[in-house]
Amino acid sequence: MELHLHRLDYTQVGVTSQKTMRLLPALGKKSTQKVAIADHDGVVTCFGMKKGEAVPVFKTLPGAKVARMDLGGAEGTPQEKIFVCSGSQVRGFTKKGKQFLTFEANLTESINALHVSGADLFVCASYIYNHYCDCKDQDYFLSGDKINDITCVSSEKLPHLIPVLACQDRVLRVLQGSELSYDIEVPGPPSVLELFNKDGGEEVLYGTTDGKIGLVQIGDCDAATKWEIGNEKRKGGILCIDTYDIIGDGVNDILVGRDDGTVEVYGFDSSREPTLRFEHVLTESVTSIQGGCVGKESYDEVLTATYTGWVTGLTSEPQRAEAVQGDEVRLSKETQSKIEALSAELEQLQVKVLQGREQYQQSSQSSTAVSAVPVFSINDKFTLCQDDASYSLTLEVPTAIDNLLLQSDVPIDLLDVDKNSAVVSFSECDSQQPNGNFLLATYRCQANTTRLELKVRSIEGQYGTLQAYITPRLQPKTCQVRQYQIKPLSLHQRTHSIDPDRPMNQLSLVGQFSFAEIHSWVVFCLPEVPEKTPAGESVTFYFHNTFLGTQIEATYCKGEGTFKSDNISTISILRDVLSKEATKKKINLNISYDINDDSVSHTLRMIHPKLEYQLLLAKKVQLIDALKELQVHEGNADFLIPEYRSILDESANLLEEYKKQPAHLDRLYGMITDLLIDKFKFKGKNVRTKVSSMLQILDHYDLNSLLDFFSEP
Amino acid sequence: MVPIFTLKLNHKINPRMVAVGKFDGVHPCLTAATQAGKVFIHNPHDRGQRPATHRLSQSTQDSDISLLNINQAVTCLTAGTLGPNTTGDTLLVGSQTNLLAYDVHDNTDVFYRDVTDGANAIVLGKLGDISSPLAIIGGNCALQGFDYEGNDHFWTVTGDNVRSLALFDFTGDGKNELLVGSEDFDIRVFKEDQLVSELNENETVTSLCHMHGSRFGYALANGTVGVYDRTARYWRIKSKNHAMSIHAFDLNADGVVELITGWSNGKIDARSDRTGEVIFKDNFSSSVAGVVEGDYRLDGQVQLICTSIEGEVRGYLPASKDLKGNLMDSNAEQDRIRELSQRRQNLLLELRNYEENAKGVSQTNSGMGVIPANTQLQTTLSVRAATEAQKAHVELSISTPNETIIRAVLIFAEGIFEGESHVVHPSVQNLSGCVRVPIIPPKDIPVDLHIKAFVGGRTSTQFHVFEITRQLPRFSMYEVTEDSPAAPAGTVSFSINERPQRVVMWLNQNFLLPEVVESPNVTFHSLRGGGLMSFHMASNGQITLTTDDIDLAGDLVQSLASFLAMEDLSVEADFPSYFEELRTTLTEVDEFHSVHQKLTADMADHSNYIRNMLVQAEDARLMADMKTMKKRYRELFDLNRDLINEYTIRSNNHNALLARLKSVNQAIQRAGRLRVGKPKNQVIAACRDAIKSNNINALFRIMRAGTASS
Repeated sequence: MELHLHRLDYTQVGVTSQKTMRLLPALGKKSTQKVAIADHDGVVTCFGMKKGEAVPVFKTLPGAKVARMDLGGAEGTPQEKIFVCSGSQVRGFTKKGKQFLTFEANLTESINALHVSGADLFVCASYIYNHYCDCKDQDYFLSGDKINDITCVSSEKLPHLIPVLACQDRVLRVLQGSELSYDIEVPGPPSVLELFNKDGGEEVLYGTTDGKIGLVQIGDCDAATKWEIGNEKRKGGILCIDTYDIIGDGVNDILVGRDDGTVEVYGFDSSREPTLRFEHVLTESVTSIQGGCVGKESYDEVLTATYTGWVTGLTSEPQRAEAVQGDEVRLSKETQSKIEALSAELEQLQVKVLQGREQYQQSSQSSTAVSAVPVFSINDKFTLCQDDASYSLTLEVPTAIDNLLLQSDVPIDLLDVDKNSAVVSFSECDSQQPNGNFLLATYRCQANTTRLELKVRSIEGQYGTLQAYITPRLQPKTCQVRQYQIKPLSLHQRTHSIDPDRPMNQLSLVGQFSFAEIHSWVVFCLPEVPEKTPAGESVTFYFHNTFLGTQIEATYCKGEGTFKSDNISTISILRDVLSKEATKKKINLNISYDINDDSVSHTLRMIHPKLEYQLLLAKKVQLIDALKELQVHEGNADFLIPEYRSILDESANLLEEYKKQPAHLDRLYGMITDLLIDKFKFKGKNVRTKVSSMLQILDHYDLNSLLDFFSEP
Repeated sequence: MVPIFTLKLNHKINPRMVAVGKFDGVHPCLTAATQAGKVFIHNPHDRGQRPATHRLSQSTQDSDISLLNINQAVTCLTAGTLGPNTTGDTLLVGSQTNLLAYDVHDNTDVFYRDVTDGANAIVLGKLGDISSPLAIIGGNCALQGFDYEGNDHFWTVTGDNVRSLALFDFTGDGKNELLVGSEDFDIRVFKEDQLVSELNENETVTSLCHMHGSRFGYALANGTVGVYDRTARYWRIKSKNHAMSIHAFDLNADGVVELITGWSNGKIDARSDRTGEVIFKDNFSSSVAGVVEGDYRLDGQVQLICTSIEGEVRGYLPASKDLKGNLMDSNAEQDRIRELSQRRQNLLLELRNYEENAKGVSQTNSGMGVIPANTQLQTTLSVRAATEAQKAHVELSISTPNETIIRAVLIFAEGIFEGESHVVHPSVQNLSGCVRVPIIPPKDIPVDLHIKAFVGGRTSTQFHVFEITRQLPRFSMYEVTEDSPAAPAGTVSFSINERPQRVVMWLNQNFLLPEVVESPNVTFHSLRGGGLMSFHMASNGQITLTTDDIDLAGDLVQSLASFLAMEDLSVEADFPSYFEELRTTLTEVDEFHSVHQKLTADMADHSNYIRNMLVQAEDARLMADMKTMKKRYRELFDLNRDLINEYTIRSNNHNALLARLKSVNQAIQRAGRLRVGKPKNQVIAACRDAIKSNNINALFRIMRAGTASS
């Protein structure tokens, strides 16, 4: 059965955070549901739709920014009490808007995840988890990395609720009281958790910031992964999930909202495997998603809230055929009155704004007045994409972006993104000048662009800062700068285990440094390390290189640290950066290293299949045009040898593959060059002169001759 | 709206070389240039097997397609009515050296002409008062029009290599004018060989198309697409992709054509001719090659036909009436509400800005970038001569009056930077309240500098954006000097009937002067070439310009003439060194020509050898005389190498010849640019005659005096 949903915009509130819109339970079987939504202005709005118009039930006064919303209520009654958190405070409202709870959690950090179940309240703030029952402190847990979301599973088999935390270091932590029961590794940093069955159960859905979805069954002492959906098409990260039977086949479907504006519905086929049944792309991040009935009774719909506060329904109600009278398109009455009301409001606003502008202008005459424009909200994300080893930067603001200036003090490459329609222009960076710019690029955006996506390719060993200056089309014009660190080992990603059989090089540090100091150096060198110093005496982190597949094991404690990697260049970079950082703090480091000569040939062997594939691909792609010409000339391709014929047959795939990985070969060459230089650097030799002869070998690549070249003294 | 037909032709299509022609007078055929110097003709209507003779051969892959061998890389192609008594359309194919007019139906050449200036663009139709339709080709700085017999009835020169042409009634006088888009960023309008208008753009003009009335669409190499009505630009948009082909077609059936653009990323969009608003879009999987129209289904309705470089073809019918011009899958009401709400949101945010600002903030929050309300930026433009550290440039200095700093400066301007913007971003240590931006405009054009300066405190994360627009005068790279040690040899003199004050006004407006000048006698020092340029006006209105730069002289004359609204101006000029250069160039042209002929003859000889040798070698093989066969093939191999070498020589020779011819054409254009109006056209026509009759002395006389007889 094919799913057809039509888009209907309902209303707009302020900028919203993730999971801040919920549907209140329906009163009768067929009636429409009310929508509760909270925004960054701190306003909680509850509204219902009447004749296509949003009729507010209640609206609270502005206050601190609301980070999360959940519904609750006494067990056995409809879950229709609204709970919101802002700062370290949790407030509760009845469905009529009466505030019945104000609870100060007294946490040092603001709450960013919330779960309510009966009298139990679970809150999470960065690293801290707290459980309250009837507002009394129950349990407490300190997580190893940032907590992104929380949910609780319950079942008849289990005596009490089991909280599950989604943590940034790619694990779900399952708690028992104040203790960690066990953790579950997931394929990406989890950003959202949702119960698969709303009435409880042990199955939990998770979504990751790199766009993957999965289902795990939480058991007493371990968990089982049911299924996973990858993200081959490189869609955005998951921000919200809900379950609802929108298809109408009696099985709950999964509704998914992503940060690139994609809304998806996954249904289940007979083999209980999720399959994509519907997709729609909105222009901005989908922060909340719910299934229910809002616009018109007995028509199910997917309700979404976006970053800028739009509440939009994707309804199964068939689109009204536009009534045609004479030759003019008649607007439906409801919309007409809506448009009129809006226009009237606009006019009033216009007058107010003009007054504001005038006052602002006048203040510029005074010599004592200051101009301070409030900070506008930016929703940004800078993440490493695993599959092409490049960083993706997304920026989103509530109004249209006018232009964006990118500045970097490290050499990086900007890649073209198809979705991005802005006109980019690179400005000359004079390397002579003392300004240290390696990249200056402006993006002039097309009208109504509120979201920009960029791709950046970094080089390991070159580190610094990428700055983005965002100017929205909003008077008085201001721009805001955001900084993103390009770390020395920027292409590495956290993992939870490494292959122990590889030949490893080791770098050991001994010196008068504290645990916190060495941790801060590791944070400086490697991505995805929590900024907070881990609890305990010592800690071990594992990483793998997304481009080459080499790995790092970092173990350190107060006064001592060891770093192991099968890639000698990684060790070399670590040595340089760590000693530099230590020197900055005037700490004397005793660095020793243990170089395993086998590791170089091991790394070369790891590169080999990639390099061979790329070389072959480049060669084939080079031939395509010539072969096609021959084909046209001769009328057919039968006379060609089978190898060439197969190139012709696969030409489309080959070209696509080639396009997908720009400069892949150059990057591999660069890494092999680094490997050569680093190998001999540890032996105290400078081999820059040998690089050109190595490049010659690469031109006629053969693994053995390259290995021989590397093993030359 | 979906395409009513799609075809996969299995032949690549060269961009911009697509046409539809009714070669038998009835059936429209899609015709396009493809790889390997071939042109394919897709004729799905007439499936009769035709004998493969002459140039035409049937494709073995697809019976609907016939291939035409040109044996040269095709550079342009069109189809249409050329001759008076032909049954169908004539196919015209241009290459870098030749123009072929071909009758597909009869399978014969109509004519085959050498065109030394190449054919980058072609257009077919009537021009001005010339009675027969012409095939007009644009090459390297030259325009040439041929009738059905291959006689050239039209010839003129233009400023640079021609990239696009269009024929339509620009002036509204009932006769067609020729629009020429060229690599010097100009669109020129020719009424026969008289230049009537010149529109300046900021990139190579790659496509031109007539819309309706005096309105036409254009596309530039930097991704700009827009619409002009005569000389006024209606709208333009810029994309990061390149416009491959533009075409006018009434897709929404409202009686007015839209501008259909095919982009390099495979997108097709239709934009309203008034506003540029997109009313329809679709996507191909590869770059669009060309957009044409024709009644391809033979049902009386004309379709828009779009082709991609991979040979995919889609046809679209104009929308039916009940769609109300709403071609996109959207709901107008919803869009309207959304737009209004967006505006409301914007106003609310702006209002909040003012409210919060009025409330005032604690000074502690330095991240917000609080600045004194009376902060105003000062900008100054000045000319800076070359120093050891820096090249000569125009300096734009921007400064704040108080302790605030300028974090970064963005300058958006057209045509003077590599991209469309220039950024100055000082490092944290070098932050100050004053930023100096060196600007080196590559050409003498007036430019609007749109400056955006980010002003705030040293530790701010949010900055105020000051937006200022300054105009850079046309002749900004010239510095006033007092001494003139050696006056340049080149002179231009003419007399005008104007008060000196008006000329002084022109000087002040068009040059970047440190202080306002009072007298019209000034000497400048060019920061680009370093040569001198002096301007002198006698009391009788006689103006003398001395400079060695003929281009500069031309620019000055044109600028002054348009400032004083002079329609005609005849000038006497002398540029000894440039003329000397031109004389050598002309002799070189002759040399290269003779070399070219000799090489062509050699090539013919060689091909005879090849034939002989091949026959001998194969004979030897049949007779199992392996030794002789090997020998023959070795000889053949050597000959092949020789041929390749010769080819390199020939192509070098050809390129050198082209470069010389281009500079000759440019010389004529430059001589023309020293005059205005009628005298200008006379000079160009007379120069052309002089070159035709190979009278070099007359050529120089014309360039100096403006007429042949004196």
